Amino acid sequence: MTATLGNFLILAALLVATAGSMVGFAAGCSGTPEGLKWAQRFAYAFAALMALATIVMEAALLSHDFSVKYVSQVGSRAVPAWVTFVSLWSSLEGSILFWGFILGLYIAGTTWVNRNQHVDYMPYAIGVWLGCAAFFSFLIAGPANPFGSVSPVPLDGPGPNPLLQNHFLMIIHPPFLYLGYVGMTIPFGFASAALLRGRLGLGFLRPLRASLLLPWIFLTVAIMLGGWWAYEVLGWGGYWALDPVENATLLPWLTATAALHSAIVMERRGVLKGWTVTLVQASFLLTILGTFMTRSGVFNSVHSFTQSSIGPTILVFLAVAILFSVITLAMRIESLEAEGKLESAVSREGTFLINNLLFVLLTFTVLIGTVFPLIVEAVNGRQMSVGRPYFDAMVVPIGTALLFLLGVGPALPWGRPRRDEVKRALLFPLIGGIVLAGIGRALGVTNVWTLITLLFGGYAAWVTMAEMWLPLVQRMRRGDSFGTALVQGQLRRGRRRFGSYVVHAGMVVVIIAIAVSSTMRTSHEARLSRGQSAKIGSYDVTFIGAETLAEPHRQSTVAHFRVMSNGKFIANLAPRMNQYQMMREPIGTPDVHSTLTGDLYLSIMNVDVGTQNAGVLMITTPMVAWIWISVILMGLGGLVALISRP
Amino acid sequence: MIALLLVLTLQTTKVPDAAQFVGAPQSTPLQGSQLDTRTIEIAGQLRCPVCQGLSVGDSPSAMAMNMKEQVRELLARGYTREQILAYFEQSYGEFVLLKPKFRGVDSLVWLLPLIALAIGGALVVMKMRKLERPVATTPSDAGDEYVNRVRQLVEKE
Amino acid sequence: MNRTVLVIGILITAAIVALFAFSFGRDPQHINSPLVGRVAPRFALRAVGTGEVIDIESLRGKPVVLNFWATWCMPCHAEHPILQQAARALGSDVQFVGVVFGDTEENIQAFIRERGEAYPTLLDDKGKTSIAYGVGGVPETFFIDRNGKIVAKYEGPLSFEMLQTYVRKVLS
Repeated sequence: MTATLGNFLILAALLVATAGSMVGFAAGCSGTPEGLKWAQRFAYAFAALMALATIVMEAALLSHDFSVKYVSQVGSRAVPAWVTFVSLWSSLEGSILFWGFILGLYIAGTTWVNRNQHVDYMPYAIGVWLGCAAFFSFLIAGPANPFGSVSPVPLDGPGPNPLLQNHFLMIIHPPFLYLGYVGMTIPFGFASAALLRGRLGLGFLRPLRASLLLPWIFLTVAIMLGGWWAYEVLGWGGYWALDPVENATLLPWLTATAALHSAIVMERRGVLKGWTVTLVQASFLLTILGTFMTRSGVFNSVHSFTQSSIGPTILVFLAVAILFSVITLAMRIESLEAEGKLESAVSREGTFLINNLLFVLLTFTVLIGTVFPLIVEAVNGRQMSVGRPYFDAMVVPIGTALLFLLGVGPALPWGRPRRDEVKRALLFPLIGGIVLAGIGRALGVTNVWTLITLLFGGYAAWVTMAEMWLPLVQRMRRGDSFGTALVQGQLRRGRRRFGSYVVHAGMVVVIIAIAVSSTMRTSHEARLSRGQSAKIGSYDVTFIGAETLAEPHRQSTVAHFRVMSNGKFIANLAPRMNQYQMMREPIGTPDVHSTLTGDLYLSIMNVDVGTQNAGVLMITTPMVAWIWISVILMGLGGLVALISRP
Repeated sequence: MIALLLVLTLQTTKVPDAAQFVGAPQSTPLQGSQLDTRTIEIAGQLRCPVCQGLSVGDSPSAMAMNMKEQVRELLARGYTREQILAYFEQSYGEFVLLKPKFRGVDSLVWLLPLIALAIGGALVVMKMRKLERPVATTPSDAGDEYVNRVRQLVEKE
Repeated sequence: MNRTVLVIGILITAAIVALFAFSFGRDPQHINSPLVGRVAPRFALRAVGTGEVIDIESLRGKPVVLNFWATWCMPCHAEHPILQQAARALGSDVQFVGVVFGDTEENIQAFIRERGEAYPTLLDDKGKTSIAYGVGGVPETFFIDRNGKIVAKYEGPLSFEMLQTYVRKVLS
């Protein structure tokens, strides 16, 4: 019954999306207002059908209706209700349905917001969105159908993947990631509409930019949450393992960031239109590539779902989407070409071009490093690896150059600045850089790259702060009170500018925190029997004892440690070792004592309850908490910039 | 008697030796802090076979700990980095090396980004030249769109 | 129509499709062992319980099934009875040898007492033998022919049929 209803809703969504897509394109060609109206109705209908299908699935999950295939795969009467609720995105079929649901929300929302605007672009945009929607409906209806029926109906199910149950971040990381990934469909539709129309007016820039910024915010938060999850769960004390799937989330973020910047030059000078559109399209295509990398089972990754059959289908869609982008670009890129000029290369505009070059180079390098082993194996059958030493060697210099631009770019005036203007603008912030690098040196930083990062980071921080509060300062100079200046200058008028600089500030903090935490980490392995202590940094870690806990899905051994520092009690930490039925290796769950200056991270290597012996890996990492803190800055800054008026 | 037996058996156990694979040590034995830093450096270049893309240096798994211990022991016996990496490569295959060699097809992974930088850089410079307004304009009419448009048209002729 | 964009774009599409289409069907977890076809690295390890030292080279002349495992490994528990059964059935033609890594002798003895043992289990010294054999996780099984050459390597728990197939291969 439930299965039939679900299948009916999905098939209806497929029908509505296909029809709506065709209507959209037809209305775009003919330009009839009636056509646009119908395209909009189809967009709302698609969203409604997807929402209903998702509700049906959630209802089936929560009521333990094991006659539905997906419920029989991930449901279990033994797990708490919240786990049951989030198991919608714990496995392949459900997560694709969730994807369709979010896609519906995005499409309907954007259509509603622009219902009376941009009438010459909207039909094409709706056509493209519903085209993508049709593909995902097809995926849900066919290769990844969660609504199959099971007979005989089992009494209970296995429950979701155990790894997903052991941390709250696993509940919020996937929705943010989907909101980021799926949301890239919207700017892709807008960019394609501009190409199909053959022009990109300044008025249309606003929805394009906003539609790119929103998923960018989600993606930023999702990437950081993913890193945090890895840190809290995977037990090796790091947050970025350069896993192919982690890299895949980074790729669209990089191109979207580049596009957000080139859009500013486009807005100011009327140039780089074709380029910006290309970047927007690339961001969408990279989200599909990322989905393929996660779902195809081709890559060796912690995130890979079990070998699934949807890989070929996604690959076909990816190929079609790239060809569509390439053909529309090739047809129309010339008609979008420059209407304006730049005044000078040594200006803020000039640095935007270099910014774009570096972001694209970074995207290319990460992509090549990730797929290179596949290429080599395809060419001559050799199995090789591209790992951290490669990425460190390639990405660190590019990242450092970007940090340099993060300081120099906003410091340079627009237009054609005079030479002395340039000199003054660039010299002052050096104080910030030198001070920060000096502090770092005094605190024991010896790594050259980290010192350079501190130098450029201090420089960028100085520039960012000066630019961020400039409207406030100017208003106060004119005689406004602090309160008026704050509200008028920062939050009402200059919201977008202010928000952007808050994001920049977050970025500076993230880069410094990454540089410091990855080069200043110390680790120490100790083998302790009950009552024994080991020392790392200023911490004394005492092993109190170990116990075994049996849970339905796993067996855990918990080791208890007491952490003291200079005779003062700091924390009790209890890292554990979990043995799952389905895994060849036991999975540890670390425990972390986190402070603003640095973290103490304990991870068990091996533990024996019988003899009360434990091998423990102790890691101190300075500044790592700042990475998570800066997410808040970047997310909030992005939101402030998003809700601005032009 | 039992102790004697134990000693005898201990003497006869033997694990596969690196010399079997990569010959005699070609450098001087390391010790102290030098040994520590070299161990960390080399462990960072080996892929932990039971993990997902982590290095032996990063991974807390038992396998990685053993491999790290092995690296340390080989360094202490005077093996060079090249020899140690070659030793692991012989048993695990090229897959175990996280840093691709600059050799044959593999050198492309290093070269392609550099080529991309060169091409991209050239494109940016070209684009900048094309977009940059000529300096010759006098300040009085620099802001006048109409005059500029006319000038461009004239220059094109 | 911008030809350059079109040509570059189509080339990119073709490259991506070709690359990923090729990659379908391969198991990313499976790593080919460079040791297959080479002489098995020599080791001599002490057997759990008896204390007897077994040298791999002393077993020349008879094919060897070399199984790496540990008591904390769940799939090894599933594989254990299959190996015991096979060792009893094929023991006259093939020598079975177990090597345990990352484990304590007490654990292994308790395990063996409970579940039986049909062939010697050797204790690896700090995982060095496992490293020399390129073991990437347990269980993992090597099939070595009469001349001491490694014929095949299998990752993960063996089924009885799978084991028979490999043993036939190593006997021929």
